[in-house]
Amino acid sequence: MMTLNSVPILLVDLFGSIAMIVLSFFCLSIAARLRRRSPDELLWSYLWWMCLGLAGFAISRSAGHILRQLLILGGHREIWRSISPFSGAFNTLMFVVVASVTLYFEQVWTAYQQIQRDKAEIQDAHAKLVHLNQNLETLVAERTEALSRSEHKYRRIFELSPDIVLVTSSEGRILDLNPAGYEALAGNLPYQLGPVGAHIQNFLADEQTWDAIRAAINTNRFITSAEIMLLRPDGSHRMALISGSRDRSVAGVETFHLLLKDIEQRRQMEKQMAQTDKLASIGEFSAGIAHEINNPLGIILGYTQLLLRTETPGTKRQADLKTIEKHVRSCKAIVEDLLNFARSSPPVNAPADIHTVIDDAVNFFAQHARPEKVIIERCYNESIPPLLLDEKKMRQVILNLIVNARHAVGEQGIIGIETVLCPDGDAIEIRVSDDGCGIEKKNLSRIFDPFFTTKPTGEGTGLGLSVSYGIVKNHGGDIAVRSVPGEGSTFTVTLPLRRGRKENSP
Amino acid sequence: MKVFSALLCLALLIVADPALATQTHGEPEGLVVHQIAHLFFLLSMGTLAYWIQARGLSRQRAWRLIRYAAIMLMVWNTDAFLAHLLDEQTRLIAVHHVDSFHLSIVPRPGFKFLVPFYYLVKLDHLFCVPALIFLYLGLRALLNDTSNEIKDSGAS
Repeated sequence: MMTLNSVPILLVDLFGSIAMIVLSFFCLSIAARLRRRSPDELLWSYLWWMCLGLAGFAISRSAGHILRQLLILGGHREIWRSISPFSGAFNTLMFVVVASVTLYFEQVWTAYQQIQRDKAEIQDAHAKLVHLNQNLETLVAERTEALSRSEHKYRRIFELSPDIVLVTSSEGRILDLNPAGYEALAGNLPYQLGPVGAHIQNFLADEQTWDAIRAAINTNRFITSAEIMLLRPDGSHRMALISGSRDRSVAGVETFHLLLKDIEQRRQMEKQMAQTDKLASIGEFSAGIAHEINNPLGIILGYTQLLLRTETPGTKRQADLKTIEKHVRSCKAIVEDLLNFARSSPPVNAPADIHTVIDDAVNFFAQHARPEKVIIERCYNESIPPLLLDEKKMRQVILNLIVNARHAVGEQGIIGIETVLCPDGDAIEIRVSDDGCGIEKKNLSRIFDPFFTTKPTGEGTGLGLSVSYGIVKNHGGDIAVRSVPGEGSTFTVTLPLRRGRKENSP
Repeated sequence: MKVFSALLCLALLIVADPALATQTHGEPEGLVVHQIAHLFFLLSMGTLAYWIQARGLSRQRAWRLIRYAAIMLMVWNTDAFLAHLLDEQTRLIAVHHVDSFHLSIVPRPGFKFLVPFYYLVKLDHLFCVPALIFLYLGLRALLNDTSNEIKDSGAS
């Protein structure tokens, strides 16, 4: 048996119990402050309930202990015995409460974390909403301005494009068209009668073109640089390159966006260049032959004339020599024309009034070949100054054109001769027109070829226009023709306007 | 048939004994419940300490202090459980109050070492009071942390 001093146990028990009560209430107080600060915070509510349980536990236990010590010290052990079961039971109940509450910590913490995340997201969303709300007007203004800038930029590209930009429905109905397109397709038609709303096929020369374009876009999603022929309101055709693709709007409406580039001018230029090249080649070829033939012809003519000098007039031999001389001269004239076409003989330029040259030619024509019912109308621009030109050769050009016009009009018609000072002032145009039969399209590209003629055999050598072409080119000018079969033709000679000193070559 | 049923009921009434439907609860049951409550409390505090550690909360001073509180309450529960065990459930020692300030402890032969151990476990407030101190400090740190957060959010 061991007898021990129980005072330390008594003191620790007594003061420990008091400390437990005090501390538990301190804890409860702080938990309450936390809860008050954020009443909706689950974690603080949890801690408050846990501290409440602990306070209950501390009171039940510590009060019991204090009471027991006081009653025992006071000699009331029996009273304590009667109270003890209730104190113990309440104390046990508090254990269970505190332990039960504590066990939920993990679930509470998980829920708390989730709530915190949700709260942060909501706060973030709220902040964004507030920012949007506060800056809505500014944002809308900025977006509107950006949209306006973009719209303006693309609208300018659309409106200022020299090429045709158009939007059609998938069936081919024109929905939108830029001004260049409007001008190209509608000409001077009023807007209401213009292409918008019409089918694009109405503006294509070939009936199969639209089907081919649509098939290409539907198959490949785009079409690139395909050649098509546009039909203008005046019935003329213009070649164009078409590129485009299809687009599908948010609403699912399908449209075709097309870009058409007019290449008619380029095509005409290429044709003209080809013509020029052809004529240059023929010119070289002709010049070579003419030079080779010209010398033997000169010898033949010389010896023929030598023989004629000694021949007795009136004899059959002299008549034969005269025939030889006549045909040799004819051949020499042809050779000279060929040389003129080939521009092998340079012009002798001198200041001359073009109107005088034209009048000389007209007078010569009137005296020798003009039928009574062929009228020649002259319209001169009197402001045209004297030009540096080979008067004789230029007269030949004008005469050739008048003769051709006379041939076109037949026995009755009007031949117009007009001089025009070009707007830029550095060239003049001489236009010789007629209201005759015109030139067939197939012959247009050949009319300047040497020996090409539509006149009956024996009426023309086919060198008139070739020689004229060569002479005009030798003057640094150009000659062009515009003709509508059945309505007439217009030949336009363009000559550079050169003033000043006399010169021998262009 | 009705007659047979009536006779059977009469026989059962004649030979009836007390049903004893409600179980009685003897004195030791309260102690067992109390001890189980201690174990439950111990388990609960262990769970709290584990989750605080597992969730990485112990990196914060406040939760670290609350975890210490949980551990101290675990120790206290163990202490109290052993004290009850020695006091009332085993016959390894016998305790008598000599007077108001002295105890007489009589160990069974071979269990003399239990005397100082018993004396020590009776000082259980040495564990539960520090536990509440840790809890108080932890809660106060939480309060400070939230105050700082509010200040920070207010400043920003």
